[in-house]
Amino acid sequence: MNKIIVCIKGVPIPGTIKVDSETHTLKRESLELILNPNDRVAIEMAIRLKEIYDFKVIVISMGPPNVIPILKHAYALGCDEMILLSDKIFAGSDTLATSLVLAKAIQTLSPYSLILTGLKSIDGETAQVPPEIGALLEIPSITNVKKLFKQNGFWIIIRENEYGEEELELSEPFVASINSHTFDYLRPPSLKRLLEVKKIEPVIFTANELGLSPEQVGLKGSPTQVINIFEKKIEAKGTIMEGSPQELAEKLIRILKTKDLI
Amino acid sequence: MVLEEVKLENLEKGHILAFGECYKKMIHPSSFEILTPLKEISESLRKKLILICLTASLEETENFEDLKKCLADEIWFILNPELKDFKDDLWARVLAEIVKNSRPYGFFFPATIIGTSLAPRLAGILKLGLCAHVNSLELKDNQIIMARPTYGENVIAKLISKSVPVMATISLGTFPINYKNKEPLIKKVIFPETFSWESKLKIKRFFPTKKKITKLSAAKVIVAGGRGLKNKENFQKLFELAKLLNAEVGATRPVCYEGWAEEERMIGVSGVTVRPKVYIGFGISGALQHTVGMENSEFIIAVNTDKEAPLVKIANVAFITDASILLDILIEKLKTMK
Ligand SMILES: Cc1cc2nc3c(=O)[nH]c(=O)nc-3n(C[C@H](O)[C@H](O)[C@H](O)COP(=O)(O)OP(=O)(O)OC[C@H]3O[C@@H](n4cnc5c(N)ncnc54)[C@H](O)[C@@H]3O)c2cc1C
Repeated sequence: MNKIIVCIKGVPIPGTIKVDSETHTLKRESLELILNPNDRVAIEMAIRLKEIYDFKVIVISMGPPNVIPILKHAYALGCDEMILLSDKIFAGSDTLATSLVLAKAIQTLSPYSLILTGLKSIDGETAQVPPEIGALLEIPSITNVKKLFKQNGFWIIIRENEYGEEELELSEPFVASINSHTFDYLRPPSLKRLLEVKKIEPVIFTANELGLSPEQVGLKGSPTQVINIFEKKIEAKGTIMEGSPQELAEKLIRILKTKDLI
Repeated sequence: MVLEEVKLENLEKGHILAFGECYKKMIHPSSFEILTPLKEISESLRKKLILICLTASLEETENFEDLKKCLADEIWFILNPELKDFKDDLWARVLAEIVKNSRPYGFFFPATIIGTSLAPRLAGILKLGLCAHVNSLELKDNQIIMARPTYGENVIAKLISKSVPVMATISLGTFPINYKNKEPLIKKVIFPETFSWESKLKIKRFFPTKKKITKLSAAKVIVAGGRGLKNKENFQKLFELAKLLNAEVGATRPVCYEGWAEEERMIGVSGVTVRPKVYIGFGISGALQHTVGMENSEFIIAVNTDKEAPLVKIANVAFITDASILLDILIEKLKTMK
């Protein structure tokens, strides 16, 4: 059966990361990770394609073991297999090192038809991993895809950019990152699958098993490095006005007048 | 126009490259923006700043005159009919050849959709580091240090890239466009006969956007809304206010994700940077990811129920009240004044 691989990421709950003002390191207030919301859309796309074309959907994530509940959630939504790429030496990987780990794992799954990803993760917001995976696997990468379907043995894709929408034709395999506003409806997990997934665990691959050395991944394998991280302190500088909304509206209008807006 | 021709293998080496996005008959203005910080860097490093443009032909480019005034020392055109459409794989291969042959010190892209699709593909081919959505560049001991807001609310990370060329995409609207008097030297790069212009992508159709592109980055007055407006209906009131004040409507990321506003209206690292004369933020907390995109506004007004909100602190004037109630009264009053 043909395969679709969906790459997903566990991200910290927004607002739970702070900077330690003394050590200039990140402090995580909670270790809990949630599914990157943009990846939810890629999962939905994969499952819809599975329903039409009978694919097997493999969901794959690089991260610490606390990503496992997220992989299981993806299973409950309709993915068929779960793979976790987890190793202490992966920590600190930048997008290139992350893409290398994902590409190595994806190679072991060859042949496959499609690799789908979210447009970007909400923590890093780089959107770099999908094209990097495509380049490393030497297959095409297309970003911001809104529609995908098969026609005469080819895939037809609609993607969006600043200029408009383009319709493309290409043959598999390729990587596509999915536009985050593609669907109006995202299915809930199925009860049956929620029960099923209690009894199964994702397959875990370590660096060694993927044939990756410590020089290729993690901090060592990452060409980009954070050299400093700091919190920007702000001090109040302006006037604070309080009162009834009526009074405040009057004051605001007066200010707008001095700025020649009215 | 007859251009000086230079063979791929004879390209000058060791300079700073910037990607000039030439697409659909236009040079994207963000390509001129990124030349502003790069000009300073290249001058300090005593290197040339070179704009790299891929396109099918020169004749069609509507804003070609802007190119002649831009800050680049040289412009290198790669011209081929196959470059009429944006084909990620082919364009990245072309740029990889340019990099291999000209061994630049840095290569920078505007963070447009094409830029952010192309730069990582190139970085992947050449196994180079790539920093995303950078909004400040500086030199320290001849090393390029890049900064961008990251993670939590008010956190800035400074980054370096150990691989050469140093690569980054630069946030849209972050830098003003500057021009100079001296015309850049324009060259055409000749690729060897053996280079394949084939792509696995076939662009079959193009549907131009019908939406009018919002002119946020050029707006003189911006009324922006955040989660404090509570719902889409309240957010809609901003459009009414904008009409009355001749303003554009801006938004924070969460409300764009909620669908209250189109993503083109997002202000901040992931959206656009604005510099209006007056910015009014309704129910916006003022997270750094948002404020980097508006902190250079001439006059900032915040409307928030929370006195401690960061936007209240950076504002010239802050109104501590319910944003949507204030909006209603404001619109009412302005209407009767007209
Ligand atoms: C990698 C990354 C990139 C990001 N990029 C961007 C970006 O480009 N642009 C962006 O905007 N954000 C971005 N964000 C998100 C950013 O961190 C903030 O979460 C976001 O800006 C907050 O939006 P907000 O102010 O609308 O919502 P909130 O932070 O929830 O603030 C709502 C505010 O409304 C006030 N409020 C509540 N009720 C009322 C009321 N009745 N009347 C008046 N005020 C009220 C509250 O006091 C609060 O201050 C990014 C985040 C990450 C991690």
